[in-house]
Amino acid sequence: MDFDDSPDEAGYRARVRALLEEHAGELLHLAPGQEGVDARRHEPEMRRTQQVLADAGLVGVTWPREYGGQGGTLVQQAIVVQELARARVPGLINHIGIGMCGPTVIAHGSQDQRDRYLARLLRADDVWCQLFSEPASGSDLAALRTTAVRDGEDWVVNGQKVWTTLAHVADFGILLTRTDPDRPKHAGLTMFVVDMHAPGVTVRPLRQMGGQSDFNEVFFDDVRIPDGERLGEPGEGWRVALTTLMNERVAIGGAGGDIGLPVESLVQHARDRLPALDGDRQVLARQAVGRAVVAALAARYTGYRRLTVLSQGGIPGPEASAGKLAGTEAARLVADAGVRLLGDDAVYAATSDGDDRWQRTQSWVPGIAIAGGTDQVLRNILGERVLGLPPEPRSDKTEPFSGGRR
Amino acid sequence: MNFDLDTDQRDIAAGAREFFRGNAAPAAARAGLEGGRLEPGRKALADIGFLGITVPEAAGGAGRSVLDLAVVAEQGGAVLAAPSLVTAARAAVLLADQPELAAQLADGSTAFAVLDGPVRGSAPSVDAADATLFLGLDGGDLVVGEGEVVPGRPLDATRGLASVRLTSRRVLTADAGELWTRARQVAAVVLAAEDLGGADRAVELGIAYAQEREAFGRRIGSYQAVKHMLVDAWAGVDQLRSLVWWAAWAADCAPAELPLASSAAKAYAASTFERAAGTLVQVHGGIGFTWEHDAHLFWRRAKVDRLLLGDEAEHLDAVARLAVAGALGG
Repeated sequence: MDFDDSPDEAGYRARVRALLEEHAGELLHLAPGQEGVDARRHEPEMRRTQQVLADAGLVGVTWPREYGGQGGTLVQQAIVVQELARARVPGLINHIGIGMCGPTVIAHGSQDQRDRYLARLLRADDVWCQLFSEPASGSDLAALRTTAVRDGEDWVVNGQKVWTTLAHVADFGILLTRTDPDRPKHAGLTMFVVDMHAPGVTVRPLRQMGGQSDFNEVFFDDVRIPDGERLGEPGEGWRVALTTLMNERVAIGGAGGDIGLPVESLVQHARDRLPALDGDRQVLARQAVGRAVVAALAARYTGYRRLTVLSQGGIPGPEASAGKLAGTEAARLVADAGVRLLGDDAVYAATSDGDDRWQRTQSWVPGIAIAGGTDQVLRNILGERVLGLPPEPRSDKTEPFSGGRR
Repeated sequence: MNFDLDTDQRDIAAGAREFFRGNAAPAAARAGLEGGRLEPGRKALADIGFLGITVPEAAGGAGRSVLDLAVVAEQGGAVLAAPSLVTAARAAVLLADQPELAAQLADGSTAFAVLDGPVRGSAPSVDAADATLFLGLDGGDLVVGEGEVVPGRPLDATRGLASVRLTSRRVLTADAGELWTRARQVAAVVLAAEDLGGADRAVELGIAYAQEREAFGRRIGSYQAVKHMLVDAWAGVDQLRSLVWWAAWAADCAPAELPLASSAAKAYAASTFERAAGTLVQVHGGIGFTWEHDAHLFWRRAKVDRLLLGDEAEHLDAVARLAVAGALGG
């Protein structure tokens, strides 16, 4: 047992670090205290940064070489993420494409689609989004209602998607549609690649409870998609979507990365703010800080255990859901402790000097307990697939989706 | 990065599991409440070498790591074994420069207990009830001596708790504050490891029952109210295992990380074992709070352990203070 790099890993880390230094002048960097970059305002620089990183071999680390990736390991991927953070380079603009859409195209796309899309995706020549959730189908994704109807060599799409990260800057998306409402809900779905610039695609920002707009609504009005843009066979959309979702689970909280602000930020904040609180409040605040630190470390070290298993050739399984569940709880405790440390300012949306970092984090936490698998759905997955408990009886798996509603 | 047990440690865990399953059962914890014999007992633990795992080879021990000991302790915790390996771990640290006494610890010829609090009237201390020789901190010095033992009515008989007043006293190490602190941290890690085993087993028993018990026409584990309770208990155990391994590894390989890691593990163990044991009782319904069922034996262990070697609040405070003082780096 050890937490050091192996000689191979240390060598890889040194190469990554050297590349980031060599190209520092061409990359975006976060200012001190800045946590992220808004793709609405900095799209060109973010695309350029990813292109430089891709050309240096630091994007698509785990993708197969034949599709432009590096054929590397998940540990190497984790090292790149750590070194990017260390160099204060913000997250990649095309993270949805790299983590979810691209792997789905690799697994289910035609050779023609792979040739046309994958290299451009890695260099952020095209930005991608994932068009799954709808107003009436969130956790129950297979209940989606956006339709695709065959018309000659094309399919004609109508409906609405929601919670779509990056749709406003995206060039392409993977789109899950219903193509056969007379079959049971999971059997009547088909996946497509959709051109986000096609006529009939409308993107509107969605404003969240904290006031910011990280997501979008996307409307499809008679959007035509050529049959060649289908991913997988008609009716096979659910199986294709599971590829995407499995990759999503690994991307969010599978391998020891913090969800939300890193615990080190809370510790620094506590260092700054504790002395300003009176004695009794300090005692209570230390309880909150201690609880948050313990939860965050437990989630982090559990991630290290998963990463160890993956690095030895293990396959990401449903246990990854436990990582997201624990990471969400830790993020909630970290945010609560951070706000508590603000003393009287905790009841305002920002401190008197205008700093709203902790209040913003607090208002963002309820969303992470919902996005990418609600806490409750994750508990069902863990209960049934890891603990082996029986599922709830269901009546929606065998009936035709239309069920007389048409 | 390699955060997993090695083959050797997996073998140690399998061997310990076999030993504890064969020589101890939770039912003994029930008998212990009525004056019965505890299992597997000090002699059996000494004979198989578990009391000397971290005692140096020169003193008759195995000279192995705290992590190896934690792996064994987890298996003991699963069957509510007594006495605890916490004393073996703690005394081995305190007796590092006392080969003769360490040898008596390892071979079980002397029944040691380590006293918390003042030696003129100690706090309830683990496995003091049947011990014959006591280690304590007196005015900053590590002392050893015999004593008068005053047990209370046990909530969990397997912990052998008693207060002790030393009747004789010999200084082993002067100015032993740092040694004492480290020994208590190692003890907290091993206690957390035993709690990990107890919590893991409690969740396992709860799952097994939820898979077979039926109510309202279906198995109760299919109801989300029951399922989610078990998942939360299971997830806590999964997280606790990471903290216990990290803290045990720190005791062996990264002494600077031990204070924070041991407090994190002990704090998390307290709430995790309580939740697991509480869930075990709740999932079983009526049978779960009878004297005959084993559920309350896990519950008793959890209710007592959470307060031993510092409660959750004490350790959370320590984690916060240490982190603010720079223990996480940065």
